[in-house]
Amino acid sequence: MNIHTYEKAWLVAAMVLIVGFIATITYGAVGPGIAMIDDDAGSIDPNEISDHERFGETGVEHLGGNEYEVNVVAQAWAYSPSEIEVPAGSEVTFYVTSRDVTHSFTVVGTNVNTMVVPGQISEMTVQFDEPGEYGILCNEYCGEGHHTMEGLLTVVPEDEFDLTELSTDAPREVEVGNETTINATVSNGMQDGLETTATLEIGEQQYERDVTIDGEGSAELTFDVDTDALGEGEHDWTFTVDDHEESGTLSVVSETDGGDTNE
Amino acid sequence: MASATEQRETDQVHEIGHEEYDPIGTAILIGIYFLILVLLWLFMYFVEFLGNGPTVVGALLTVVGLA
Amino acid sequence: MEVTRMSSTAGQTYLDQFPAEAKVIKAAFWSSFMALAIGGLLGLVQALHRTDVLRFIDSADYYTVLTAHGVLLAITFTIFFLVGIFTWAVTTSLDRGVVDIRFTWAWYIMMVVGTILVGVSILGGVVDAIPTNADVLFTFYAPLQAHPAFYVGLVLFVVGSWLAGADWFRTWWAWRKENPDERIPLPTFMALTTTLFWYLCTLGVALSILVFLLPWSLGIVDSVNPLLTRTLFWYFGHAVVYFWLMPAYMMWYIMLPKLSGGKLFSDPLARVVFVLFLLLSTPVGIHHQYLDPGIAEGYKFIAMTNTMFLLLPSLLTAFTVVASMEHGARQRGGTGYLGWLKALPWRDPVFTGMALAGLMFAAAGFSGMINAGMNINYLVHNTWWVVGHFHLTVGTAVALTFMAAAYWFIPQVTGKELWSRRLALGQVLVWFVGMTFMSNAMHRSGLFGMPRRTAEPQYQGFDFEPAVGTVGEINAQVALGAVLLTVALAMFLLNMVMTSFNDDSDSLPANTYAGTLSGPEDSPAVLDNLKLWTAIAVVLVIVGYTLPLASIVDSGGLFGPDIGGFQLAIETDPALVLESVREVMP
Ligand code: HEM
Ligand SMILES: [Cu+2]
Ligand SMILES: [Cu+2]
Repeated sequence: MNIHTYEKAWLVAAMVLIVGFIATITYGAVGPGIAMIDDDAGSIDPNEISDHERFGETGVEHLGGNEYEVNVVAQAWAYSPSEIEVPAGSEVTFYVTSRDVTHSFTVVGTNVNTMVVPGQISEMTVQFDEPGEYGILCNEYCGEGHHTMEGLLTVVPEDEFDLTELSTDAPREVEVGNETTINATVSNGMQDGLETTATLEIGEQQYERDVTIDGEGSAELTFDVDTDALGEGEHDWTFTVDDHEESGTLSVVSETDGGDTNE
Repeated sequence: MASATEQRETDQVHEIGHEEYDPIGTAILIGIYFLILVLLWLFMYFVEFLGNGPTVVGALLTVVGLA
Repeated sequence: MEVTRMSSTAGQTYLDQFPAEAKVIKAAFWSSFMALAIGGLLGLVQALHRTDVLRFIDSADYYTVLTAHGVLLAITFTIFFLVGIFTWAVTTSLDRGVVDIRFTWAWYIMMVVGTILVGVSILGGVVDAIPTNADVLFTFYAPLQAHPAFYVGLVLFVVGSWLAGADWFRTWWAWRKENPDERIPLPTFMALTTTLFWYLCTLGVALSILVFLLPWSLGIVDSVNPLLTRTLFWYFGHAVVYFWLMPAYMMWYIMLPKLSGGKLFSDPLARVVFVLFLLLSTPVGIHHQYLDPGIAEGYKFIAMTNTMFLLLPSLLTAFTVVASMEHGARQRGGTGYLGWLKALPWRDPVFTGMALAGLMFAAAGFSGMINAGMNINYLVHNTWWVVGHFHLTVGTAVALTFMAAAYWFIPQVTGKELWSRRLALGQVLVWFVGMTFMSNAMHRSGLFGMPRRTAEPQYQGFDFEPAVGTVGEINAQVALGAVLLTVALAMFLLNMVMTSFNDDSDSLPANTYAGTLSGPEDSPAVLDNLKLWTAIAVVLVIVGYTLPLASIVDSGGLFGPDIGGFQLAIETDPALVLESVREVMP
């Protein structure tokens, strides 16, 4: 075969280029440690997502230390959960699967991007060093409303982050003079214990409790409310733990208006 | 009318055979292309991509981080 | 060495030599142009809609439009042109007609019927009177489900192309009997190697449709494994991009040198290049699935390595083609290190169109290298970067080469003079400028995460943040580019239509292609051993795909875990968007 010298040189240069590209990619894998989405997380029957140990309840979970897990279900045309909050300085592993067709889970402006294929689970581990706010979008066509599929990922400063959840149980209406209670549950989703103060404000009154909750635990709080002191009328109440709030209204009515209702 | 192919046949001023022909211009052009490819590749990989973090990392990270 | 054909056919057009074949080729070209006309117009609609410059369709219908754009341009336009060119290449370079012209018409008609079925089933997405739906885009990823007619149409089209390949092989075998000792002429060699990898890769999509998707859309089986059909699609989906590209490469190898006034620099290297495409086009498809779950990283790495080596034939082509052009320019009196560039026939639209197409392909080569880089794919996957990339490859390197080639071929197969060479020259320039705007802006938007395939990429909860420039400025460039492209398209079609109204001309150039500086006698005969290369290609495919496919079937089952079809439509009341998720065929 009769190949011109220049062409031979180009052949060599082209090989250098190719090998250089492969070397760069390999460097990315072992240097900065970039990993590809792979088959580690296994497969799943999309019809059984709701009963699945991981996806039965979606959202952020604390694994301990700075490690978190976020379980996301994609379906036309929303993510569950649609808003995700994680702390800065954390290492977060996302598990994403689809209930219907193929979607993507793409964190805009970052290299966090995966296809979400029904029957498969996508697993990605990501380190979030700095606080910030990122959009999430679906970049694989998934039906007529595809362009409406979005979410939000917020990385909050470490000291503003917790996995505390509140729920309250309070009567709507009570007769003046009767005793009544507002019950609240504070649950702590972190593996670490939580020490904080819970506050209930109603009318002019304010009740404070110190609470200590174990990791993955919860505490029940009961506040006895003095309806005489409140007097007849509508009274807004707010239950606060750190940045979390639950509120409602209690009507204190005259005796003739009716009995306790607890709805 | 004057069509592409015919014109060219008459345009030829001399004939150059394989032995006497060195595609030096091509070598220059392709050298420039090579440089562009290398520079753009480095820019895309190290600035656009690695600068676009956070990025998906694997268990490898800690291993390499310690090493 | 001089191509023997040249003497025997001096002064004769293709129509003079092969009047019967010319008719089929003309028909194939016109089918191709029609797809281009409709598809291109839809492209304008998309560009204006996405950028919010002009929205006159429902965003829900956007995806019907996009399905049509993808199918008509990526499949119909390209492949109809290909079968036309390859039929020309085989008959011209073997200097004999096809064995049986009825067979030739048969495959052409089969492809037309397939196209009509596909087209009508897509149209059903917007026309209520047609009870079909095929809003599945040209990748038809399950469990999105199309009407069975869509799949049947695709199969007919592909089988038609298989028969076309058989036709070229038959013609070659017939020639071989008469010329047992001759080397395969280069154009025929190119057509045959391309056909071989087409057979190899379409097996994947045929399997996907015939075994899985079609029975599933007919309700015969009630589940699919989405990752499996997706992987089978991409088994075909990468090779198909080379299938479109090969006729363009053929034009660059055998027409550009001639148009430049020179000869092909090296016939042996051209053969090596096509052999490499035969070997490597198929076992790389997993590079489209870098971000897919369910495929181990190792397989992705192997696919990447193969893909990177697939750069080699294209890089070699760049050298050979430019060197051939330089040879022409120097024979025409060009001098200096780069001064010869001025001696190229820039006023010839056929030359200029192909040269600009090649230049854009060089740029596309760069964005393709990025796409091929496994982990950098996180940055660009499914963003508009990718759309920018393939409008340079198939949308320009291929499409512009085809349009430029048409300025030479249509006179050849109709015997009519091109209506306006000046309009043609303007056309290729306008296309080039339009695509520069559109594709550059698309690449840039991909880098800040602009998704592809999205009717309204304007989100409620966040904004895109380009590092340089603004979203508005980038959108304006996309819209401007799209308008220019549409103008160029109109110029092209006008020229073609007016040409067909021209009188017959007897001053057309003869049907020839480029001679070679270093001919086939310089290349080892083993290059022509198609059986050997096919066997190696098959082995490479087996090596590249057995394990990934086995693990996909193993983890998800051959037919998947009860995954039915979806046609996800928004109900009339937009407030009910979320409740409207309905499963049409449970
Ligand atoms: C008038 C010229 C053209 C214009 C204005 C145009 C415009 C567009 C636009 C805006 C998109 C992106 C849609 C989205 O991501 O939402 C697109 C997609 C596409 N275009 Fe074009 N295009 C043109 C010509 C072509 C040509 C000539 C080809 C191929 C030969 C082509 C092939 C494709 C393909 C394959 C897609 C992807 C479809 C998909 O994602 O399913 N286009 N085009
Ligand atoms: Cu989507
Ligand atoms: Cu590919």
